[in-house]
Amino acid sequence: MKQELYDLADKAIQISKSSGADDCRVTIGGERFVQIGYRERKPETIKEASTKGLRVEIFVNKRYSSQSTSDLRPDSLKIFIGNAVASTRLLAEDPFRTLPDPKYYQGRAAVDLKQYDPDYEKVTPESRHSFVKAIEESCLAKGGDKVISVSAMGYDNRSEQLLMTSNGFDGYQEATIFYGVAQMTAKDEGDRRPSEYGVAVAMSRKALPKPEDIGADAAARTLSLLGAKKIKTETLPIIIENRIVGDFGDGFMQALFGRSIQQKQSFLADKKGQKVGSPVFTLIDDPFIPGAMGSGPYDNDGMTAKKRVMIDAGVLKDFYVDWYYSRKLGWEPTTGSPTNVIVLPGKRSVKEIMKDLGRGIFITGFIGGNSNSTTGDTSIGIVGQLFEKGEIVHPVSEMNIADNHLKIWQRLAEAANDPYPYSPIRVPSIVFTDVVVSGI
Amino acid sequence: MKKITRRSFLKTGATAAAATIAFPTILSKGWYAFAQAETAGYFEREFGISEAACRKVLAQALAKGGDFADLYFEHTISNYLILEDGKVNRAASDIGLGVGIRTVKGDQVGYGFTQDLSEKAMLAAASTAATIADASGREPAGKFVALKTNNYYPMTTLFSSVPLEAKLPLVQSVNDKCFALSPSVAKVNVVFHDQQKRILIATSDGAKAEDLQPKSYLGATVVAEKNGKRERSSWEYGGRREFSYYTPALVEKLAKNSVDRALILFDAIQPPAGEIPVVLGPGLTGVLLHEAIGHGMEADFNRKKISTYCTMVGKKVAEPFVTIIDDGTVPHLTGSINFDDEGTPGQKTILVDKGILTGYLHDRISAKFYGVNPTGNGRRESYQHYVVPRMRNTYMLAGQVPPEEVIRAAGKGIYVEDVSNGQVKIGEGDFAFYVSQGKMIEDGKLGAPIKDVNIMGNGPKMLANIIMLANDFEFYEGGGGACGKSGQEVPAGFGQPTALVKSLTVGGVKG
Repeated sequence: MKQELYDLADKAIQISKSSGADDCRVTIGGERFVQIGYRERKPETIKEASTKGLRVEIFVNKRYSSQSTSDLRPDSLKIFIGNAVASTRLLAEDPFRTLPDPKYYQGRAAVDLKQYDPDYEKVTPESRHSFVKAIEESCLAKGGDKVISVSAMGYDNRSEQLLMTSNGFDGYQEATIFYGVAQMTAKDEGDRRPSEYGVAVAMSRKALPKPEDIGADAAARTLSLLGAKKIKTETLPIIIENRIVGDFGDGFMQALFGRSIQQKQSFLADKKGQKVGSPVFTLIDDPFIPGAMGSGPYDNDGMTAKKRVMIDAGVLKDFYVDWYYSRKLGWEPTTGSPTNVIVLPGKRSVKEIMKDLGRGIFITGFIGGNSNSTTGDTSIGIVGQLFEKGEIVHPVSEMNIADNHLKIWQRLAEAANDPYPYSPIRVPSIVFTDVVVSGI
Repeated sequence: MKKITRRSFLKTGATAAAATIAFPTILSKGWYAFAQAETAGYFEREFGISEAACRKVLAQALAKGGDFADLYFEHTISNYLILEDGKVNRAASDIGLGVGIRTVKGDQVGYGFTQDLSEKAMLAAASTAATIADASGREPAGKFVALKTNNYYPMTTLFSSVPLEAKLPLVQSVNDKCFALSPSVAKVNVVFHDQQKRILIATSDGAKAEDLQPKSYLGATVVAEKNGKRERSSWEYGGRREFSYYTPALVEKLAKNSVDRALILFDAIQPPAGEIPVVLGPGLTGVLLHEAIGHGMEADFNRKKISTYCTMVGKKVAEPFVTIIDDGTVPHLTGSINFDDEGTPGQKTILVDKGILTGYLHDRISAKFYGVNPTGNGRRESYQHYVVPRMRNTYMLAGQVPPEEVIRAAGKGIYVEDVSNGQVKIGEGDFAFYVSQGKMIEDGKLGAPIKDVNIMGNGPKMLANIIMLANDFEFYEGGGGACGKSGQEVPAGFGQPTALVKSLTVGGVKG
C-alpha cells in the first residue's frame, strides 16, 4: 500500500505542475475499519469498510485552494486537478500563501512513536465479537436490576497517511486504533432514565484495559447518577474529571491559535509573557509520547514537531501558529496542529482532594455550553456529584457553571494525579475555586 | 456530545446519552463544477450502475437471509469560497462518491460501503452487510419501480452551472457592506457554501428513488472594536436554495444583521444565575424544541426504552395551545427532503397535537417494531453511514397574542434571540442551549443586552411550562444547521413563535 500512496502522490503533483500550479501539497489517506455493536446479547450492528481519499492544495500565482476527493479513478483525478488549478487562478491574490520554507522540514526525529500495533493483522472476527460481548456482559452484571438498556461497541482501524509537497517534503505514517465503549441506561424515579458511558481508546490492543472493566465502568457511572437533584445557586469549588477537562479547556485552547490571534478573535492575543493562570497551570504540547494518540514527527504543514511549553506555571509562553498565519502575523511559526496536550499532574487523588474542599461539585459530564474565544466568556451545563467533606452527597442535574477563561484559570487550585490516557488531551482532573454553580 | 467554539454553525446532536447542535464555521472546503440537471438515470449515465447490477448486489446482501437490503449510491460535490482580510482568497471543494449497502434482520444491521463502484467491490461490501444474518439466502424483487414524490427544492440552475466569476462578487459584497456599516468593524469573514448531493436508493423490495438535494448558505462573522474591547457575532442565510436566492437585498440584510449583532454586545451584561422565566424569540430558538423534545421522540431511542418520552405517547405533555411538528415538506428549508435515505417519501409528522404526545419519528426498522408506517425520518450523513431516525424541520405552531404581550407576561426574565448550539441527554430529558445573545426583561419590557449564557432545562418539564405563545411564527432561514447523532451530521431546520417558558436554569456568573 505504501508504494501505491507514493505513486498516487507523485502523479497528483505531476498533474498539478503540468496544469500550471507553482506548488502543491498532497495528502493521501487510507483506512480499513471494523465496528461491531451488541445489544441484548446479539450483534446490533456490524460495519466494515475501506476508504481512501486525496486532498491536494494548489498554490498558483500567489493564489490558493484546497480540493479533496474520494474519486481516484485516473481520468477523474486528471480532470479534478486540472479544474482545480484553473479555478484557483480566479481567486484573489494572497501573498502569504506559500509552502513552508524547507528549513522547517529539517531535523525530523527518527524515533518509533508506537503508533502501529504489529499484531493488528492477528485480530480475528471471533476475537472482536468476544471483546464486545465481554463489555456488554460486565455492564449488565454490574448494572443489575437497574438496567433498562446496555449497548456495547468495539472498533478497530488500521490507517496510513502520506503527506508530500512539491518542495521536497514527504512523510508516511501508519497507525492503528482500538476502542471499546459501553453505554447503560438505568431506571430512576419517574420518567428519568439516566445514561452514561464507559470508554477506552488505545493505539495497540494490549494497551486497552480488560473489556470487563469498560462495561463495569459504564454501569458504575450510570448508577452514580440515580436520584439526581438540582440544588440552589451557589459559589463552590469544582473538580472537573480528567476525561472531560478537554471539553472545558477547548475554550481556552481556541484562543492560542494563530488564526484566532490574527483575526482578532483571541482573548490571549496580547498576553504572551503574562500570567494567564495560577502557578499550578503548566500546559505542555508533547508530540513524542510513545503510543499516545497525538504523537507524530511532523505537523500538517510538514514542519518538524517539537515539544513546547505553552503555559509555564501560569505564564503564557507560546501560541499554535501554523505557517500561513505566521506569515500574516510576521511571527516565527510553531505549529498549527496540537499534538498531546499535557497539564502537569499533581500528587493527590481526587478522593484525597475532595476531603480538603468541604462542599463542592465533582463534574463528570457537560451538556451543551460554549465559549467565546474573543472575550473568554464561557457557560456550560454540568452533570456530576455534590460532595461534602470528601463524601458524595447526591448527584446533580440541570445545573450550569459560567465564568471567563481569563479569570477562572487564575483560580486553578490543584491538579490531581490521574492524567487521562485515552485521548490526546492527557490531562488530570483539575480543581477550580469559587465558581458560580447555577441551579434553583 | 460535540460542542463548537465559533457560532456560525448551529450544531445539535444526540448520542444515546446526549445530542448536540451547531452552525457553519469558516472552514476549509471549496468549489468544483459539474453539469447534468436531470435526476433520473444519473448513476447509470455517469457510473454505469444498471438495474441488473443493483439486483445482483442486493442478492449478495441477502445471501444469508434478512428482512430486506438496500443500496444507497451518492455523488456529492461541495464547494466553499472563503473571504478573509478583505479578499476572497481561499476556496475548497470536496467530492464524495460511493455506495452503502445495508442488510436488515429485525433490529440488526449489517453495513458495508465502498468508494469503488465496480461490481466486484460492491459485491464485496454486500458480503460484509450479509454477515448480520445467518439463514438461507433470498432473492430481491424482480424489477424496480421508480418512486414519485413532490419536489420541495426544485432548481432551475444548478450550482455547477453558476460560474465562479458570479460567486466571487457575491462573497466580496458581504465584506464591503459590513465595513460600510460601521467604523467599529475590524474583521469580517465570509463563507459561501454550495452543495449538490445526488442519490440513488434501490431496495430489495423493488423500490428505486433518485434525488438531487441542493444545499447552500452565505454566512458572515464580524469582529468589532470599541474602546479597547472586542466583540464578535455571526449570521447566515441559506437552505435548499439555488444561487438566485442570494440577492443584493439579502446581502444587505446579512451584513446588517451581522454588524448590528456584534455592536450591541458592547453593552451586554451577564444575567443573574438561577431559575427565571425565559422568553424565546421567533425562529432560531426552535433549537430548544429540537433538543427538548425532538431527539427524545426519535423512535430508536424509544424502541430501546432509553428516552424519557418512551411511556408518554397519548398523554398530555403540554398546554392545549402547543402543537409541535417535524416536517420534511417545507419548500427550500434546510431539513426538507423529497424522500428520506431509505426511500420513504418526505412528509409532515405531528409530535405534539394540542398538548398530547402523538407519535415518534420512524425509520423502517422502528416502524416495523411498532407496527406503523415509516414517517420519512430515516436519514444518514452519507453512503458511509447507515440510516437512523432523525429530525427534518422541527417547529411549534403560532399562538394568538402579539409578542409584546408574551414579553410583558414574563415580568422579569430573559429574552433569547440568538442560539449557537444545544445538546440533550435523551434518558434524563435534560437539555442545554447556548444563548449567544438576547436581552434582559425588566418590568415586562426588553432591557439590556445579554450574551454567552448557557440555559439548562428538562424536556418534559419545559413542555409543561410553556405558558404563552405569540402570533409571530418564523422559520429560521439559515442553511448551516446541522444535527449530530451517532457520529453522523444531517441538515436540520427550526421554527418557533415567541414563547414564554415559566422557568429555566440560566447559567449566569452572579450568584
